[in-house]
Amino acid sequence: MAEGAIQAGCAFFAGYPITPATGIFKAMIDELPSRKGLALSAPDEISAIAYCIGASMRGFKSMTATSGPGWALMTESVQYALMTETPLVIALVQRLGPSTGGATQGSQGDVLLAEYCTSGGYTIPILCPTNARECFELTILAFTWAEILRMPVIVLSDKEIAMTTESVDYESLPQMTSQDRPKNSAFVEFGEYDKERKNGTYYFHALHEIPIFSPVGGSRKVTATGSAHDKAGTLQKNSPETIDVLAHLEEKLLWRADDFVAVKQDLDPAAETLVISYGISSRAAQDAVRQSRKSGAKVSMLTIQSLFPVPRKKLRQATEGVKRVIVVEENLRGLYRSVIERYLGPIQVRGVNKIGAMITPAEIRSVIEGAV
Amino acid sequence: MTRTSVTSESFGPQVNSYLIDNPLWPFCKGCGHTMVIRRINEALVSLQLQPQDVALVTDIGCIGMSDGLFRAIHTVHTTHGRSTAFATGIALADSVLAEKKLKTIVLIGDGGAMIGLQHLVHAAMLNVDVTVLICNNFVYGMTGGQGSGFTPECFVTATTPDGNIVPPVDICEMLMSSNAAFVGRTIATDKELTSLIAQAIAYPGFAALEILELCTEFAVPQNELTGTKLLAVAEQNGWSMGLLRAGTDRPPFGKKYLDNILTKPTQSPRKSAVRKNLPKPMGIDGPVSLMIVGSAGEKVQSAAATLCQAAVASGLRVTQKNDNPVTQGSGFSLSEVWLSPEEIGFTGIDRPDYLVILSTDGYRELVERGVLLRLGNTTKVYIDESIDVPVEHGKVKRHAYRKLFGPTLAAVGALVHIARLNRLVDSEALDGAVQPRLKNDAPKFNQAMEQLMGKS
Repeated sequence: MAEGAIQAGCAFFAGYPITPATGIFKAMIDELPSRKGLALSAPDEISAIAYCIGASMRGFKSMTATSGPGWALMTESVQYALMTETPLVIALVQRLGPSTGGATQGSQGDVLLAEYCTSGGYTIPILCPTNARECFELTILAFTWAEILRMPVIVLSDKEIAMTTESVDYESLPQMTSQDRPKNSAFVEFGEYDKERKNGTYYFHALHEIPIFSPVGGSRKVTATGSAHDKAGTLQKNSPETIDVLAHLEEKLLWRADDFVAVKQDLDPAAETLVISYGISSRAAQDAVRQSRKSGAKVSMLTIQSLFPVPRKKLRQATEGVKRVIVVEENLRGLYRSVIERYLGPIQVRGVNKIGAMITPAEIRSVIEGAV
Repeated sequence: MTRTSVTSESFGPQVNSYLIDNPLWPFCKGCGHTMVIRRINEALVSLQLQPQDVALVTDIGCIGMSDGLFRAIHTVHTTHGRSTAFATGIALADSVLAEKKLKTIVLIGDGGAMIGLQHLVHAAMLNVDVTVLICNNFVYGMTGGQGSGFTPECFVTATTPDGNIVPPVDICEMLMSSNAAFVGRTIATDKELTSLIAQAIAYPGFAALEILELCTEFAVPQNELTGTKLLAVAEQNGWSMGLLRAGTDRPPFGKKYLDNILTKPTQSPRKSAVRKNLPKPMGIDGPVSLMIVGSAGEKVQSAAATLCQAAVASGLRVTQKNDNPVTQGSGFSLSEVWLSPEEIGFTGIDRPDYLVILSTDGYRELVERGVLLRLGNTTKVYIDESIDVPVEHGKVKRHAYRKLFGPTLAAVGALVHIARLNRLVDSEALDGAVQPRLKNDAPKFNQAMEQLMGKS
């Protein structure tokens, strides 16, 4: 993830130690200075994310990393980043919860805690890698999404990915780069404000348009606020323009949701069963699907890397002709299953769920090869 | 567009005010906040800072309604108590990654300073170029006059109706003990306030001013407070007034970071450690799993990492999972390794192909996990001869790893032995990974290894 962040042009990292995310923090402390970036220790997670947001407002790509207990402290400022349309990447490395839970035990229990951390339930993009290579690729993608959308983006990993050493052939990694936020550097008379408010910090014409970023310290006056505001960034109670701004925060992502999709498909046109998984569990699921096919099962596999926005079109494609869907995830209640179930219509849906240890290929196979 | 041209086009050579024309003040009549905002404006005028080079970061509460009063300068309205932290982020990035031009000013109340104490302390410790103006009117005004951590003893507030029984924090003392470079305390009506604020802003590191004020709505009527009594309140609480620390030699964080840390040479992209087109090691047909257990401090996990390094250099994919008790320095130490010619899916090991047991701590952990009961007959078990326990499944071999190599090299000795016997990795790659780690122990290690291989 650190390599991905650096390749994406991340210039600022503030962190606070927490297992199993500390490796990212340490790697950024070790690597960022030699790339002329700034990496530092904050006195807590609240400060860490606030430093990152401040640095991003100043115009630099920023990232922090944490796990569940630290995430709980950060959500106040994640909402602030959303409201102030500040690009930010947060690596959330899941461990077993609730509360301090199990620091060195894996889990996929923070999926909804991460997604629904805002009042209003705004869609926060979540990218979910399954291995070290995807940690690299999806972190770069996360920066692109954060920069284009001007919002926080989460890379959701877990202990089993973060604390497992895995070989990666550096030379085979894609030479991906991350896009930079479009910046408004044109001179305008400072503090002046035209009738159409086109110089406003949060100016857009149509709801889905993304305001052009101006850095604090740039030649356009920035009026940033986490409180309800109009397009100029002026505090407002509930003027129609303010309600528009709130609607815009969701609309800017939903309008282009089809472009913000990452999945891995391994589909069999004759399949009656579709296995859906993500993150660490999808590795076991892929093994299980491969083994079940050898014993004659007609089964498809969909690995979802972009958990949110929900890749609805891809779900529709993958479920065509399928009689049942099996969702594999390392939590007890089937957190992501509860989200996608509504898009699966009359198809029978069941989960393979467990906590305390990784779900094994054998456990998944027994469900795949069980009766439909 | 250069900064000079901004001046000439929008403000002219002289900035007379940074405030909007005829502002509608959002504060109550007689509120200290109005005075503070006027003094900030005068201080900025006296410094003649370019508006785009000033960032005003405001907290929550009445004082947080100040943003709209400023016509020019950047304003960032934040969350309760966090203003100093956001400002620190802006200033850090500015001082290390940008042109070091911004003056960042935080406006925060006593409530915000209390909930955000940690951010104040850390900004002072870092010595970032942030000026914090703590507008202390002893109460939470916006929410109805509740007591704060800054409320003097005996003060009547909405939440201390019988008088406050908890002495207040002395924020200036606290910040000075956090190595704040520039600290002062005064009252909102102080004739020197403009000059103090200007000095604080001009200071190229962390500066804090606590400004005692009246909250006319809540603090005044309940406590018969007047402007002239503010100094008496300070005296009763033993608060020193005036400029308490006027700067130190300590360089700000940005300068230290640039001088001490950013001097590292720029790194070139990493090179791959994989040698291409090697023949597959003889012992590897498909994925192979190996589990090694021993005691903490005996370099079990680093030995496994060395084997993995050799495997990578042999063209294989590897994963390595480690485990140990939370405290890291006692009890068992365990590594689970997969070596595979193909991409590795599931990284857990239910029934290892190879199992290495080097100590009683490790053996106990295997019993705890039930690994020994799950072993198939094909599992090759290598166990140190010092562990006198029965292993009922698998093909068991006992060797004197600890005796031959010593406790800290037993793990790497065992793994090299097993890798060579079973041809798990390329032998040149194995030497390349192992030999540099042995240093002075190399002759003894190699001799022991020859002895062991001779026996096998």
